[in-house]
Amino acid sequence: MNFITQLASAPEANGGIVEALGIDWRLLILQIVAFLVLVVVLGKFVYPWLMKSVDERQENIEAAAKAASKAQEAAAESQAETAKLLNEARKEASDIIATAKLEATEMKNSTESKAKATAEKIVAEAQVQLQKDIEAAKRELHNETLELVSLATEKVVKGALTKTANEKVIAESLSEATKGAR
Amino acid sequence: MDLHISMSAETLFTIGGFPVTNALLTGVLGGLLVIAILWYVGGKVKRGKYNRFVGLVQWVFEGLLNQIDNVVPDKKIARKITPLAVTIFFVVLLNYWLSVIPGLETIKFNGVPLIRSLAADLNFTVGLAIITIVTVQIYAIKYLGVFANGARYFRNPFKDPVGAFEGILELIGEVSRGAALALRLFGNAFAGEILLIVIAILTSYFAAVTLPFFMLFELFIGFIQAYVFFVLTLIFTSLAVSHHGPEEHHEVEAASKKTKASPVKSGAKV
Repeated sequence: MNFITQLASAPEANGGIVEALGIDWRLLILQIVAFLVLVVVLGKFVYPWLMKSVDERQENIEAAAKAASKAQEAAAESQAETAKLLNEARKEASDIIATAKLEATEMKNSTESKAKATAEKIVAEAQVQLQKDIEAAKRELHNETLELVSLATEKVVKGALTKTANEKVIAESLSEATKGAR
Repeated sequence: MDLHISMSAETLFTIGGFPVTNALLTGVLGGLLVIAILWYVGGKVKRGKYNRFVGLVQWVFEGLLNQIDNVVPDKKIARKITPLAVTIFFVVLLNYWLSVIPGLETIKFNGVPLIRSLAADLNFTVGLAIITIVTVQIYAIKYLGVFANGARYFRNPFKDPVGAFEGILELIGEVSRGAALALRLFGNAFAGEILLIVIAILTSYFAAVTLPFFMLFELFIGFIQAYVFFVLTLIFTSLAVSHHGPEEHHEVEAASKKTKASPVKSGAKV
């Protein structure tokens, strides 16, 4: 093949493996210079914009990540705060319920005792009134009895007794009536 | 059919005794394409007008930039090496992809194929390797200083025989790194071109069916080669600027001796 012939004969013809490999110093230097110019041109006019854009994007991503992390922290804090508030509210509610129960029991007891006292008072007053009524009724009955006795006695013994005996009978009757009334 | 394969780029014509080869011509086209694409994208980004193509190039650029930041420890040097590394990537990629243009062997000028990938020309790959190695050395000198950088290669064999041997190996390593950079890219691009020509000849009329698969494969290899050259440039820069001098080597040894002498203390620290 041409390639094998060329490679084998080139060192003899040109006097070196470098030329056989196709290395030409002029081309080598030209390509090095051209490449360096390309690097400088791109490095000055193109890459800064691309790097800036990449940096900005990374900054945005970092900022977003930070914001997300902050939001997560805030959410966690808020959750903890909510849980704390909920616990406090539960505790407070249970306290209120306990206090209400206690107060209700106290109120019930107090109402019961008040009612009892009132009832007792009413009963006592009723008994006093009843006693008074009985007393009044007895007195009235005594007076009426006295009148009836007096009338009856007057009708029976009218004329048979002397004034003195009459008065004595009346006095005895009165005394008995008084005893009876007692 | 006469199959003509030349290892070196062939001269199409001369201008004042200066040979204009087919690879140089394709390279000029590739260079203009790189400038046109990046200029267009840069202008669009500057004006804040985005489209899918701009987004794609920007996405690639961002990926490369992230890679640079990850590989090169010093942010300042990373930003300084960016233009070179990114230009290497785009230039190698587009020039490699130009080898996939149909008519690789058939379009001829003065009996010489008109199209040849710039990556399949040793003048370009050696030039690129020289630029990379020299740039790495410049950054190493800037970062470590002239003497500290020189001490990576040249050490007193009487004081530190192992270090002196290590320095020689380092020097050989630098040369071989450059050679490997140049030859790897050249070998892949050249072999790719030959592969496409051979497949086209072997499959004859079926080439219309078979070649696209190999072209796709070549496009993939082109991307891989561009990326490898780009990453190796970064790794060499990173190695050069993070290199520990012999003094630090001794300090490390002394520190390890001290640690061995007081195991309890070291254990406590661990």
